[in-house]
Amino acid sequence: MLRRLGPAFWIGSAWIAVVLAAGLLADVLPMPRYDETLAGPPQAGPSAAHPLGTDGLGRDVLSRVVHGSRVSLGVGVGAVLLGLLVGAPLGVLAGYRRRAADAVIMAGTDIALAFPALVFALAVVAFAGASLRNVLIVLGVLGAPAWTRLIRGATLSVAQREFVLAARALGARDRRILWREIVPNVTMPAASYAFIGMAVAVVAEGGLAFLGLSVQAPTPTWGGLINEGRAIMENAPHLVLAPSVVMFLTVLSFNLVGDRLRALTAVRESGLEPVRRAAPASLPTAPHAAGDVLLQVADLRTHFVAPHGTVKAVDGVSLTLERGRTLAVVGESGSGKSMLIRSILGLLPAGQVLRGGKVYLEGEDLTAYPPERMRRVLGTRLAAVFQDPMTALNPVRRIGTQLAEPLRVHRGMSRRQARAEAARLLASVGIPDPARTLRRYPHELSGGMRQRVTIAMALSCGPDVLFADEPTTALDVTIQDQVLRLVHRLRGERDMAVLLVSHDLSVVAEWADEVVVMYAGRVVERGPTAEVLERTRMPYTEALLQAVPKLTDPPHRRLRVITGRPPDLAALPSGCAFHPRCPHADPRCATETPPLIPASDPPPAAGPPAAGPPAAGPPADGTPPAHQPPPAADGPPSAVTPSSPAEPRPLAAAVPPSSTAPEHLYACWHPRGAGTAITEGAESHGR
Amino acid sequence: MIAYRLARLAVVLLVVTFLSYVLLNLLPGDPTTQMLGLSATEEARAELRRQLGLDQPLLVRYGAWLGGLLSGDFGTSPITRVPVAEELVERLPVTLELLVAAEVLALGLAVPAGVAAARRAGRALDQALTALGFALLSTPVFVVGVLLILLFAVTWRVLPATGWTPLSVDVGWNLTSVLLPAVTLGCAQMAVYARLLRTDLIATLQEDYITLARARGLSPRRILWRHALRPSAISLVTAVGLNLGALIGGTVIVETLFGLPGVGRLIVDSIFSRDYLTVQGCVVLISVGYVLVNFAVDLVYAAVDPRIRRA
Amino acid sequence: MAGSGTAHLRPAEQVVLRVADLVVAFPAGRGREVRAVSGVSFDVARGETLGIVGESGCGKSSAARALMQLPPPRAGSVRLDGVELTALRGEELRRTRRRLQMVFQDPISSLNPRRRIRDIVAEGTRVWGLGDSRVDEMLEAVGLDPKTAAVRRPHEFSGGQCQRVSIARALVPEPEVLICDEPVSALDVSVQAQILGLLEDLKHRYRLTLVFIAHDLAVVKNVSDRILVMYLGKVCELAPSTVLVDHPAHPYTRALLSAIPRSGLDLPPSDHLITGEPPSPVTPPTGCRFRTRCPKAAPRCESEEPAMRAIDDDHWVACHFPEQGEE
Repeated sequence: MLRRLGPAFWIGSAWIAVVLAAGLLADVLPMPRYDETLAGPPQAGPSAAHPLGTDGLGRDVLSRVVHGSRVSLGVGVGAVLLGLLVGAPLGVLAGYRRRAADAVIMAGTDIALAFPALVFALAVVAFAGASLRNVLIVLGVLGAPAWTRLIRGATLSVAQREFVLAARALGARDRRILWREIVPNVTMPAASYAFIGMAVAVVAEGGLAFLGLSVQAPTPTWGGLINEGRAIMENAPHLVLAPSVVMFLTVLSFNLVGDRLRALTAVRESGLEPVRRAAPASLPTAPHAAGDVLLQVADLRTHFVAPHGTVKAVDGVSLTLERGRTLAVVGESGSGKSMLIRSILGLLPAGQVLRGGKVYLEGEDLTAYPPERMRRVLGTRLAAVFQDPMTALNPVRRIGTQLAEPLRVHRGMSRRQARAEAARLLASVGIPDPARTLRRYPHELSGGMRQRVTIAMALSCGPDVLFADEPTTALDVTIQDQVLRLVHRLRGERDMAVLLVSHDLSVVAEWADEVVVMYAGRVVERGPTAEVLERTRMPYTEALLQAVPKLTDPPHRRLRVITGRPPDLAALPSGCAFHPRCPHADPRCATETPPLIPASDPPPAAGPPAAGPPAAGPPADGTPPAHQPPPAADGPPSAVTPSSPAEPRPLAAAVPPSSTAPEHLYACWHPRGAGTAITEGAESHGR
Repeated sequence: MIAYRLARLAVVLLVVTFLSYVLLNLLPGDPTTQMLGLSATEEARAELRRQLGLDQPLLVRYGAWLGGLLSGDFGTSPITRVPVAEELVERLPVTLELLVAAEVLALGLAVPAGVAAARRAGRALDQALTALGFALLSTPVFVVGVLLILLFAVTWRVLPATGWTPLSVDVGWNLTSVLLPAVTLGCAQMAVYARLLRTDLIATLQEDYITLARARGLSPRRILWRHALRPSAISLVTAVGLNLGALIGGTVIVETLFGLPGVGRLIVDSIFSRDYLTVQGCVVLISVGYVLVNFAVDLVYAAVDPRIRRA
Repeated sequence: MAGSGTAHLRPAEQVVLRVADLVVAFPAGRGREVRAVSGVSFDVARGETLGIVGESGCGKSSAARALMQLPPPRAGSVRLDGVELTALRGEELRRTRRRLQMVFQDPISSLNPRRRIRDIVAEGTRVWGLGDSRVDEMLEAVGLDPKTAAVRRPHEFSGGQCQRVSIARALVPEPEVLICDEPVSALDVSVQAQILGLLEDLKHRYRLTLVFIAHDLAVVKNVSDRILVMYLGKVCELAPSTVLVDHPAHPYTRALLSAIPRSGLDLPPSDHLITGEPPSPVTPPTGCRFRTRCPKAAPRCESEEPAMRAIDDDHWVACHFPEQGEE
């Protein structure tokens, strides 16, 4: 954690420490007293004896600046601590107790914030005497309402989390909950605010001193020094510059330290760290043939360079899609299914992305298009719908404006035409009263209605392919059914292709013509839906099917449990990425990555004879393969494979481009036997 | 809703004026000393107190003052013998012009800077702007002012260091005299605004609806200005309201530094001369200003974000 | 469905948890309020698992929190072993908390990011003065290694593991009733199966009574003995799991089942059954709350709210025109 703070934090802390030490040791440091006149020639510039020069009375400026730090830092630190002492408990109380306590405290801070703080600071200090104590108390107390607000906000965001509820459910007393659950989570943000607050307090004290209303002469203060130097800055600018620079560096240090601490805690900021961009690198693309299909994705790869390694989000995915068909991409979270859509559409976040592979739309290579040309394809020929309809629409723009925009941009319609067309689109997705809906904002519509709007928007320019990323996951089951029916109907009416990403196998079974099963960024099985779901070959697909509870099963039926958890995409297992969780894995699975093998072919040969699975038989005599299977990353494949005289046709990269009836393919050395797998697995692997 | 807010506003003002009146009167220090000098006799002081009404109980004095306030009478300064309201009316335009100029400068520079930084987050331009922002944020207003005077007035002699030409007298000279003070006052605000906007914009640019706007083939420029800017402006609008307090504090220093005849200067002068009534008048003015601006900010919220209109 | 009434409740001596006429209300701005739960009654027998199913906004999660008295409901009765929880305040209420525990939906948000896993699980022992050995036992029972738990913090664990921690924490004070509010809906399919199996094991091992809340009927059926269907703050139907799924009587239950793709059930296609979206809970329909979307709605549904009535042994439905006796 300390390393994440960065150099700015440490440099800032070091400077604060130096100033603090100098202030504390000012009397014993080897330099003239701050009030010793004619310690050197008056108004002299910096010299060896007086590193920051001397002032109009010949006093040593360095000594005066160092002594001035006592007041500045004393007030800065003291006022913040005092403000926190007064404000923080009130803030915690308001944020945790809510209701009456909150209302009273917040009304109090509202009034206090409308109070002209600076006027009061000036008045109190002027009337009550400008001692260090008075300045500190005034600035501390005047800062308290702001602290109450900040701490309340931080408390509120913690107090609403479920772990606080859980602690109350456990029967913990309020005091215990405050100390164990709330305070530790509020401390970090409070600390970061405290440093920023110290910067503010140092500046405020400086302002008072500058006006002559802080600690009085002869005690030097930074603001006072700057004010004094102002009169003769034409002749001796160093009198102004020296305290100014010291003050600037100190305030900057407080700000930097506070900012770095906040970056540690604030979720919103944490993703905003400066990214050093390398030249956009590209990954190699395996040889392939561009075919005569609507959409062809060939060996697509998307890797992210992250601090803990290269995340292979999409790693060599190939697929084809024809008009009037729905292809479903299935997988658990982290399988790369959503990133696949974004990669096809070229909507990857900036940063260190490595890409490879090609995307062809009717034979045209989209990956070679310049951005301007790609934009004309997006929205007109390719369109997308995302998972969460709550975040898919711009909250501050009316439905009509958002819906009309692509029509005007891409189809050059007039405002009036676009509006009429937008209303027609809304009607076509089953929204009652389109004219009224056009004038609404997204938050005024229900989730299901919003998803219909996003679908209407995606369809506005008559796309050839609709990419739907979990379009119904955020919706209720009755609404999900309505939305999927709508997509299916529109697919027929518009002769589109649909690429549907889903984790829900029953949705896939109902609506998809073909299925692609992804695991750890790769395709592990694909083919016609019925084939894949009923004659499952890949153990992962099988396990996934058996892990889902079915309505037709009796209650308390044990589900198939897949042990372990999905792999870290930055540190994939060698060989088949599923092998650590696979009940049928043998040493070969750990060393060799299986290619995609047609299910119509005989199953692949066994690896080393020791671990032969029941399904493995000797391969038929080999039709000469087009490619050798890709060598495993850290295994000696040549040492293992020779036992099999011929590999089955591997198809990892060379997808037959123009197959109207897609083939059932799988990537596994020990496939499950057709037909028997599902029931057999349920009994033998349930817990 | 509006009626409720106005009532709340009135309560806040009432409490603020009462507290400030009481606090100012409880502070040590006696205006008669200022007016009569240290050598005055106790009888003379008592006589003066009676004339000024200072012998009355605090609550009675507050009531009388508040009553006058409602009819626009802020009282007459016992020190300068000028009606406080008159003084305020005379000085307010200077301060208002300074505040508006500073905000316009700050926002005018902060929005493009924030947008440019967010658009290329993490790259050289962003890092440079962030560093510059930190520097501006960390330079106290009087340091900025002194440095600007040192450069523009003392070294290059292109702009006046002090003095004020009202807008009604000469527009050109007026702008010349407001330029340095406004820059001084606006510097730190600009840094705050640019930083807020950058942070919010970067967060907005990661939203689904922005990705979907890209998926609809809209140009980056269109997405940035038409889709992303407005949803990202909430924090900025809040800051404009909340920072008014800091800005008013800044005017006190800037007006002193540049010798502008504004309300800030009036506050300092009347505090030094123990002129309670004038200080009290300034407090009322500032509180009303603060409350009204934040009221306006709430209205702007609703314009910026339709989701707030319901609440 | 505006099912109200308490006819379906069993005699008090047979049940461990008995909820009657529960009402939960929240302010909805402009002086209005949402009745998230509006007169819901159910009971759970010892060792039984009651599943509560419904779509978002039906009030199932609000009901769960009202059972926990977090916060106490607006009206109605919650009896645990005959003790009226809604009548308890302060220390008395705190003392009953041991016996009723809860697992939340969001595995990340339910764990304090600043505490170590072991401390999170041990919280119950410290509050109740129990021995530390219980902590290790529970960590092992949910399949976590006590040694790693002593040093790790929540962010180092996956969603499924965090949910295991939540379950361990809830079981430490030896509760009788465990309320699970959507415990698997944030998890992947493979992890969901792990957690469902774990809950089943723990239920038998520690003789728990479970209230299992979810939106997925197949998941609810997998763990529940009886299922309660809710819609817009009311009860629609209550029946043993198999009966409810095989012979749904309430039109809403039927719609819910037929909207599930490839369910394998023999039901008419859903587009003939249910249209539109749920109305706003701020201004619910009069009479039966489901009538605005119900294919069988009749004038009577508008004027008269149906009460729960038995249509078969232990099969209760709140509908004027229930589907009956096909099979």
